[in-house]
Amino acid sequence: MTVAAPEPKANMGNPAPRYDAVVKVTGRATYASDMPLASPAYAFLVTSAIAKGRVESFDLADANRVRGVIDIVTHEKGPKLKELKLYSNGGYAGTTIQPLKSAEIAHDGQIIAVVIAETYEAAREAANRVTVSYTAVVPSATFDSPGTTTAAAKGQNSQFKEDPQVGNFAKAFEDAEVKLTASYDTPTQHHNPMELFSTSCAWIGDNLVIYEPSQYVYGLKNGVAEQLGIDADKVRVVNPYVGGGFGSRGSMTPRTAIIAAIARRLNRPIKLVPTRDQGFTIATYRAETRHEIKLGASRDGKLVALRHEGAEVSSRPDAYCVGGTKTTTRLYACPNVDSLVSIVRADRNTPGFMRSPPEVPYLFALESAMDELAVKLKMDPVELRRINDTTNEPIGGKPYTSRSLMACFDEAAKAFGWSQRSPEPKSMADGDWLIGYGCAATCYPTQMGPSAARVRLQRDGRTRVEIAGHEIGTGAYTIIAQTAAERLGVPLEKVAVFVGDSELPPAPVAGGSNSTASTCSAVMMVCDQIRQRLFKAMMPNQSLTDRAKETVGIGQTPATRAAKSDRSLDLEKAFDALGAGVVEEYGEWKPEDAPLDSFQAMHSGHVRLVGGHSLKDKIAYAFGAEFVEVRVNRFTHEIRAPRLVGAFAAGRIMNPRTARSQLMGGLIWGMSSALLEATEIDERTARYVNDNFADYLVPVNADVPGVEVILLSEQDDHINPAGAKGLGELANVGTNAAVCNAIYHATGQRIRKLPVRLENIEV
Amino acid sequence: MSDKSSSRSSGFDRRAFMAGAGIALVPLTARAAVQDPTQAAAQDPALPVEVTLRVNGQDKRLRIDARTTVLDALREHMGLTGSKKGCDHGQCGACTVLIGDRRVVSCLTLALAAEGQEITTIEGLATGDRLHPMQQAFIDNDAFQCGYCTPGQIMSAVACVKEGHAGSDEDIREYMSGNICRCAAYPNIVAAVKQAAPDIMKG
Ligand code: FES
Ligand code: FES
Repeated sequence: MTVAAPEPKANMGNPAPRYDAVVKVTGRATYASDMPLASPAYAFLVTSAIAKGRVESFDLADANRVRGVIDIVTHEKGPKLKELKLYSNGGYAGTTIQPLKSAEIAHDGQIIAVVIAETYEAAREAANRVTVSYTAVVPSATFDSPGTTTAAAKGQNSQFKEDPQVGNFAKAFEDAEVKLTASYDTPTQHHNPMELFSTSCAWIGDNLVIYEPSQYVYGLKNGVAEQLGIDADKVRVVNPYVGGGFGSRGSMTPRTAIIAAIARRLNRPIKLVPTRDQGFTIATYRAETRHEIKLGASRDGKLVALRHEGAEVSSRPDAYCVGGTKTTTRLYACPNVDSLVSIVRADRNTPGFMRSPPEVPYLFALESAMDELAVKLKMDPVELRRINDTTNEPIGGKPYTSRSLMACFDEAAKAFGWSQRSPEPKSMADGDWLIGYGCAATCYPTQMGPSAARVRLQRDGRTRVEIAGHEIGTGAYTIIAQTAAERLGVPLEKVAVFVGDSELPPAPVAGGSNSTASTCSAVMMVCDQIRQRLFKAMMPNQSLTDRAKETVGIGQTPATRAAKSDRSLDLEKAFDALGAGVVEEYGEWKPEDAPLDSFQAMHSGHVRLVGGHSLKDKIAYAFGAEFVEVRVNRFTHEIRAPRLVGAFAAGRIMNPRTARSQLMGGLIWGMSSALLEATEIDERTARYVNDNFADYLVPVNADVPGVEVILLSEQDDHINPAGAKGLGELANVGTNAAVCNAIYHATGQRIRKLPVRLENIEV
Repeated sequence: MSDKSSSRSSGFDRRAFMAGAGIALVPLTARAAVQDPTQAAAQDPALPVEVTLRVNGQDKRLRIDARTTVLDALREHMGLTGSKKGCDHGQCGACTVLIGDRRVVSCLTLALAAEGQEITTIEGLATGDRLHPMQQAFIDNDAFQCGYCTPGQIMSAVACVKEGHAGSDEDIREYMSGNICRCAAYPNIVAAVKQAAPDIMKG
C-alpha cells in the first residue's frame, strides 16, 4: 500500500490500479481529436467580437483567397437546424442561443462563421482574415449593469421547484440573542478541462459518427439527431476517454450539429479543434452569484433562525440557476428557515453546471457565516457545527440516510492538529508569515439515475461489460470492472469494460456525481441475472412454482436468492450444467423513487436523476470536513495554502485509490476557487478578458505543497444497491469557506468575496 | 443606443508575419517542394514544403504547410496522437516532447525548425512492452485522472530528472510547474517523479 493506494477500511473495495492506466501513460488512449479520419477537412471558428448587436456584413474576399479554403459558413448560408431546446425543458442543449441562424449576436464570443479548409493552418489563417462589420448595442455585463432584469427563480426554471421555508423566520430572527447578517460574492469561473472542446463529424452514407468529449453520449446523440431532423439511431457518439469534464460537457452545445451539417453538405469528415479562448464562450461556465445570509442563535450556539437569499446571473433567453438553498437550508438543525433565489438576466452566454454547481457558491456563503457566528459566540467553529448537527433535515423533517459529518470533523481535526490553534486572530506567526487555521463542512447530494448494462461471461471467466458510461478521469472503467469481477467471482484481469459509446446500453449523464452509484448498481444487477441463470442450471429439480415465479420475475426462489447472496459459483460446473459456452444478459436498473417514464427517458437521452433532498421519505448526502492552513506574508500580502486536510464519508468506497485521487483533486479545486480562479468580465463590453491559461489562474504543482485525504468507513443500505455515494463533487465545496476562515484567523480580516488575492489583504 | 464599428477578428496578421519570418527560416532548414523555395515560401506559406522529422528513432518525410508545428505534424500528419493540444500557446505543457535532451512545448516549435533533431514523444518511451520507469511510477502513484495532461507530464518529468531537478519535493514541484493538470493530480505526480528518479539516474 502506498499513499496513493490507501489500505481499505471496512466497506471499501481494493485500491486496484486504474484499468486505463497503461494506455494513458503510453499515449495510446484515444481522445476525440485523436481519432483517425479519412482525409478530413479542418474547421476553424470565427467568434463575435461584440456581446450584443448584429452582424451587418462580412468581407470574405481576403479569407477566400487563402490557399486551401473550401468554404466559409456564415448565417447567410447557415445550416438549417431545428431549434435548440434546453435539457431542463425536455431538450438536450445547455443553451437556446443558436449561432449562424441570424445576424443577431446575443453574447461575446458567439460563433459567427466557420471556415473549412484543407489544412488546419489554412483554416486558421482564413479565419483571421474574415472581416466583420457589426452594429453594436451596449450590453449588460453582470450584476449592477444597467439593463439587467431580475426575477425570482421559482416559476421560470422548471428544475428550481421551491424556496425552502419552515417556521417563522422573521420573528425568530428578531428575538434571537445573537445575530449575524453578512453578504458574500462568488465570481464567474470556467471549467477549463485540459482537452479542448473539439468535435469531429464523419458521415458514412446517412449514418453520422461524432467524436467529441462528452459527459453524456446518449444526450448528445439524441440532441444532434433532433437538430438535424434525423433518426437518433443513425447517430453514434464515441469517446472512450474524455480529457476532463467538470460539468462542461454534460449538455449539448450548438457546435456539434453545425459541424455535422457542414460535413454532410461537403460530404467530407470535418475536424474542429477550437482554441482555448473560444472554449470560454462556446460552452458553459459557473455564473457569478451573490448571497445574503442571516443567522440567529441562542447564546449557547443553537441556531434559531436562518435565511439564505441568493442571486445568480444567467443569459437573456435561458433561466439557468443552481439554487443551492435546497442544501444550505437543510444542513443544520434550525426551526425557522427562509430562503429566496433570484435570477439576473444579462447579455451573456448561458451558464451551466460546473463541479458542485449549487454547493460551491451557496456553501461558501453559509460556511463563512457559520465561522463568523462562531467568532461572535466566542465558540470553536467545530463545536458550533456539533451543537447544530442533526439526524433529520429541518424543512420536511426527513431523516438523513446516514450522516458522518461530525466523525469527519473529528478525524480531520486530529490529523490537522486543530488543537494547536490559538483561537485569537493574528495570534500565530512564523517569521514574516501570519498563520491561520480554518475549517468548514462540506456535503454533496447522493444522486442516482436509471442505467442499463450488458454483461457477457465465458466459461473461462473472461467477462465483457458494456455500458455507455463515461471515463472523464473519475475511474469509471476501473470500478465497473471491479464491480463485475466481484459479483461474478472472476479475476479483475479477465474483465473488459466498454464505455463512452452511444451504441452501448444507456447510462446517465456523468454529472451530479451519480455515475458510480448508477452504473455499478446496474452492473451488479445484470451480473446477478447471470448468476441466477447459472445457479438455476445447477438446481435441475426446481419446483413448478419457482419456475413460474422466475418466468414472471416476481417473488424469491432458491436461484434468485443464491444469485443475490455472496455464494460463490464454480463457473466450469455451472456452464457445463447449463450446456453453454457464454452467458450474456442485458438489464435496466432504476433507483427507488425514479419517475415512471425513467427507462423510456433513458433511451432517448433524458436524465431522470433522483436523490439528495428529493427522495420521498429520506434525504441522502455525502459529508466531509475540510481544514486549511494559510500563510499570509505580513509585507507582501502573498497568500499560500501549505496544508489542505479533508476527511470524507461517502458510503461504500469502491476503490480507495481512485476515490482518494478525486477527493485530492477536489480539495485543490476548492483552494483554487478560493485563491485563484475568476473569469474577469469587462463591464463595458460584457466580454471575458482573461480567456487563456496564462491569465485565468489555475494551480500548478508549486501551488500545492501538502494535501491529506482521509477516507472514513461508512455503510448506508438505504441509497442504492452499490451502497455508494458520489464523491467527485464533494471535496471542492467546503474548501472555499475554509480558506477564507483561515485567512480571517491569520489576519483578522474577513473577506466575503472570492477569489481572495493579495490586493484584497489589508493587514 | 448603437454604434457602427468595423473590426478584424484579430489584429495579428499571421501571413505578413510568416512571410517575413519565412525568408530567414525556410531556406535554412527545409527543402521546399517547389522550384524556388525562398520565393514560393515568401509568397504563399500554404504551399507544402518537404521536411524530414526524426521521431522516436525513425525518419519520416512529410509534405506539410510551412507553418505546421511539431505538435500538429505529429498529430495530424504522422498519426502520433499521444502528444496533446491543451492551449496551442505554450501555456499548459500538454504537448511537451523531448528534442534532444531538452523538453519543449511542441505547439510553439515549427516542424521545419526541428528537422535533423532527435524528437522523442510519449510513444517512444517504453521499450516494447516494458514501460519506462517514469510511466510505471505514474501508474503506481495514480499520478493522473483524465490522462490528458499525462503524456506531457511524463515527458517533462523525464527531463526534470535528467536536468538534476528532482533532488527535493520543492524542486520537483517547481520544475514540474510548466505542466498544468486540471484534474490536480499534483501530489501524486511529485511522488511518481521521486519514485522514478533513482532508476532514471542509474540509466
Ligand atoms: S498545447 Fe502546447 S503548451 Fe499547451
Ligand atoms: S490528469 Fe486530467 S488534466 Fe491531468
